[in-house]
Amino acid sequence: MRLPLALGLALPLLLTAAACGSAASPSSGSSASSTQLTLYTSVTQNTVTAVVAGFAKTDPGVKVSVFRATTGQLNARIAADEHSGGLRADVIWGTDPLSMESYAQQNLFRPWPLPALAGVPAADKTTYFWGTRELYLVIVAHKGLTPIPQTWKALTSAVYKGKVALPDPAAAGSAFAALGYFDTAPGFGLSFYRALKANGAVQVSTIPEVVTDVAEGRYQLGITLDSEVRSAIAAGSPVVMDWPADGAISLYSPIAETVAATGGANTAAQAFLRYVLSPAAQTAIGKTGWQPVLPGIAGPPRPAGATEVYPGWSALFGRQQQILQQYQAIFGA
Amino acid sequence: MRAAKATAAKATAGKATAAVVTAGLIGALVVVPLESLGRIAADAGLTGIVTALTAPLSRVAVLHTVAVAAAVTACAVTAGTALALAVERRPPRSRLLPRLLIAGPLVIPEFVLGFAWSQAYGPAGLSDRLTGLTMPGLFGPAGIIAVLTVYGVPLAYLAVTAGLAARADPALERAARAAGANRWTTLRTVTLPLLRIPLLGAAALVFVTAAGSFAVPQVLGTPAGFGTMSTLIYSDLALTAAPAAFTELVVLSLALVALVLLALGPLDLWLARLPRAARPQAPSAVTAKRTRADRAVMAIVWAYAIVAAGIPMLTLILTALTRGPGLAPVPANWTLANFRAGFAGGAGAALARSAGLALAAAVAAPALGVLVAGLARGRWRGPLATVVTLAYAIPGSALAVGIIIGYGRWLDGSALIILIAYVAKFWVFGHRPVQAALDRLPPGLTRAARLSGAAAGTAVRTVVLPPLTVAAVTAAGLVFVLAFHELTMSTILYGPGTETFAVVIMNTQDLGGVGATAALALVLTAPVVTVAGLAAWLTRRTSARPLLVRTEPGTSGHHQRAAHPGRCGLRGLVRRLRAPGAGRPRPGRGPGPDAGAARVVRVG
Repeated sequence: MRLPLALGLALPLLLTAAACGSAASPSSGSSASSTQLTLYTSVTQNTVTAVVAGFAKTDPGVKVSVFRATTGQLNARIAADEHSGGLRADVIWGTDPLSMESYAQQNLFRPWPLPALAGVPAADKTTYFWGTRELYLVIVAHKGLTPIPQTWKALTSAVYKGKVALPDPAAAGSAFAALGYFDTAPGFGLSFYRALKANGAVQVSTIPEVVTDVAEGRYQLGITLDSEVRSAIAAGSPVVMDWPADGAISLYSPIAETVAATGGANTAAQAFLRYVLSPAAQTAIGKTGWQPVLPGIAGPPRPAGATEVYPGWSALFGRQQQILQQYQAIFGA
Repeated sequence: MRAAKATAAKATAGKATAAVVTAGLIGALVVVPLESLGRIAADAGLTGIVTALTAPLSRVAVLHTVAVAAAVTACAVTAGTALALAVERRPPRSRLLPRLLIAGPLVIPEFVLGFAWSQAYGPAGLSDRLTGLTMPGLFGPAGIIAVLTVYGVPLAYLAVTAGLAARADPALERAARAAGANRWTTLRTVTLPLLRIPLLGAAALVFVTAAGSFAVPQVLGTPAGFGTMSTLIYSDLALTAAPAAFTELVVLSLALVALVLLALGPLDLWLARLPRAARPQAPSAVTAKRTRADRAVMAIVWAYAIVAAGIPMLTLILTALTRGPGLAPVPANWTLANFRAGFAGGAGAALARSAGLALAAAVAAPALGVLVAGLARGRWRGPLATVVTLAYAIPGSALAVGIIIGYGRWLDGSALIILIAYVAKFWVFGHRPVQAALDRLPPGLTRAARLSGAAAGTAVRTVVLPPLTVAAVTAAGLVFVLAFHELTMSTILYGPGTETFAVVIMNTQDLGGVGATAALALVLTAPVVTVAGLAAWLTRRTSARPLLVRTEPGTSGHHQRAAHPGRCGLRGLVRRLRAPGAGRPRPGRGPGPDAGAARVVRVG
């Protein structure tokens, strides 16, 4: 057995060595050199790449290591860090306020370090994190559908029976934002979802899937993110953006400095926050398809007279499970 | 006397080493991540655990998971066995094609499997557009069970094939038929009882795979509001980073492990008690003539492969090539932009890294299988097989968390930590087939070989290793495919410079753009299909040589494979791949120890 066994054991080790050849040193930023910055983010890659590239020009002394994953995987990573020696990120840039608030509750963030920065609307600020860009939940319609619904309520009209797709609010914070808004909005509440269900609305898995299904004609209407609709339109898909007259549901993508950032990393983290909220970075964010949070900086085109509404985030923090259960009593099995 | 004592001491030392090595591997790959997760669950206290498990959503999810996994196991094992019985009694030369066809669905990565089926058979899908036909019940439990069954059939088929090669002696079936039993009675009373060990082993693998699947219930179950434990774990992670939700995730993951332990533990214990080795047998008797039944079997296999893998694969190709969703998949709308987007930055290096990691896992998993299954004989076999399966039962995101907690301090962001996760997760595919192969060796065979004068190394090399080759190579192929496709753990474990290919492309498009997702799936599929095609081509080339010769009519008058001088080279390997059991000890192979050994055992 000796020879084959030795081979069997040696080969994987050799291959591992080969595979590890390109392995970088541990990504911990806080304990590495003072100009090392570790960023955990769930923001889309092209936006992160554009912003980090701009930051490298203004602050060439800081080397940014990026760990990018979906919100769920980022949450898993952070929980794992917490259980094995502490958070390894100096800055966290999330997609929606819900996860960020639970990090804040776990004391992972420093209070917002740059209160003097101007321009960010008060609705997009908490003690620990500020918004960097806006995401809008709108209606997507299959091209050629007439009449197009003018308001959210119109989705419950008999004209659209069996034609509406909703994203599963349990799958992502951005999808939950719609449920969170309607839950507390005057005139809606969960009875809005009961009416949708009674009208044959169907829940599908994710926000991008809503656009795919509507483009393919499986459904004629759906609730999704504006950026997804614009990408589909740019690709030539047969969909149109339908911005409700009562306002798209707005959610903001927050950023915060973590308690892991100390010394040089702390300075670098604050430099990065300052840069993300600078006109240069905000312009870059606008060019990658998102509405910048600073007023006056161009984002993607919006219909004339478009308005937005805001979920009451502070009232939603910590209530996700409870609201979800009520929703799932309607749309679950 | 002294010599006997020395031998006994040596044996004791050997046993102790074996126990230490086995315990070390299990500790590193199974206990460390489980213990890490266990600590998190324990932090929540009993109340936290009970709350997590008795939440209405959790209870429903557990029920759904058990029901789906049980149904998939029943369907996949039945179909896999039927297909194996029909195909594996064909002449060796005509088995390769049906085998590849049946394994076809495995080349579609699990994370696009549900999507591919919904695009193929759902409303506004390919079949709907072309013929107006959709699959009823696709969105809901029936669809989930159908798709997971298709994914489980190859696993069951592989296990039953190995079992057929070793256990179901056609001579016994012929004897039953000669004694007046009809086909059904023969199947029920002779063939299936002989196959029960591989059948139950296959059931275990399929059950665990179905219970852990995420992407299929996510896409097909959501419209029906049908959640499973894996989709609940996903939403726990995605929606909030609250410690309570994380505890629920960990508790649910451990509950899934407990479920597998409950289902597999007694089974493995029972299996280990069954009489192990069948007598060394000659390969199946085969008729070279193409009968009508034979053609019917091939027609069924082709139809199955086209429905299960062909059309879903075609929809993936069309989706990847088409500019945007909802556009007709005609050349005017075709583009390579989805592929270009994926390869924009750093994807080449990541592709090489993924291939390296998958290769390392594909070598390590069967090597560990040979080592641990080989070392652990006797009453430990059952529990060991269960323990090796546990890491596979942990959902990917939870296993990754367990691995970071266990090894992150030292290995965070390195490729090695990803490899550890791959090997832990896929070890079971290296262990169970190898153990099944070892089980068909009559006990004492090596000792008999030694008594016949073979040196220790020779005995192992000529008696033990040959029958393991088929199992180990099959396992290596399977692990390569699964590791190469792995996405969930990789996206949590990667660090700067260690992105795997799937991570790079997922980051490019966030798995949102369906075109890019389909393109990623295709690029991940290409190397797998290439390797399979290469193997098929090599086999076709070698099969030009005469493989079967009629030997002297012995006790059963079977065909015997000709001893071939090239059996150790690639050609030999390929040939052995084509015919499981062909590497088994064969009487009359010349002066080697196996013939004598077999005789000794039979007498003993």
